[in-house]
Amino acid sequence: MLRFGAGSSDMRKILKDDIFLLRLKLIVIMCKAYLHDYPMGKYRREAIIENARSVFDLLSQISSEYAERYGHIFNLQTYAESKGEKNLYFDVFQQRVHLLAVMAKALAEGSPMGYFRTKALKDNIDSICEVITFNSNVGDIKFLKVA
Amino acid sequence: MRIAIRSNVKIAVVDDDKLTRDLVVNALMYCVNRDVLSFENGFSALAYLDTDKDSPDIIVSDVDMPEMNGLALLESIKKKWPSKICVIMSEDPASEKSASDLGADAFLAKPFKITDLFNIVQKYIVDTE
Repeated sequence: MLRFGAGSSDMRKILKDDIFLLRLKLIVIMCKAYLHDYPMGKYRREAIIENARSVFDLLSQISSEYAERYGHIFNLQTYAESKGEKNLYFDVFQQRVHLLAVMAKALAEGSPMGYFRTKALKDNIDSICEVITFNSNVGDIKFLKVA
Repeated sequence: MRIAIRSNVKIAVVDDDKLTRDLVVNALMYCVNRDVLSFENGFSALAYLDTDKDSPDIIVSDVDMPEMNGLALLESIKKKWPSKICVIMSEDPASEKSASDLGADAFLAKPFKITDLFNIVQKYIVDTE
């Protein structure tokens, strides 16, 4: 039997906060795959739209305390010293995630992109990935290149 | 090296927790670019497997569910359709041995990463030549 996921001593229930972070990382991968011109298809488009909606819904349910609880995975310390500053930068982070959800939904629905929208998408992804210290190389996920 | 997603592959996700179920369905649907079935409990999943001649080839199921838990579902599936791939999810370390004893193909320990789901897809759904 193959084994995936958390180590035995780290196993626990998945919380709503975990779901948010998982969905955020998934939407980053979805957008990066789009930027790499990987094939979409009907179900991938549906999945992107659904994930964008879920990220948006979950975003409204988390607070700046999230950054405190998960400080070890948020790179806000690089930018913020005081708790007040951390809250400010987390507010900006939340807006960026909101924007990413909007961008993902738009590209999945076939909205025209163009150079500047593509650049804005890349820049937003880079900023978000800096905060959540997520280094996803979609090139390693070869099955995304086929549909 | 040629890569292809197995044609006509059907996947089902069984979990009474909607947030987790929807996430796994969403991620798998995106990976394989095909519809993914979802069930809230083992009974409805088993009933579907019993009646549908094009039933899922791969079942990803949580353990802790009311009425019929994932281990009971696993046991039923492996008894009737031993070739179906069963991936068992759980937050309880004790479930791992039980899943193995009952013939699970894989165990997905919670909390998991998105890359864990990708690795499952790579292992069971992608053909490489």
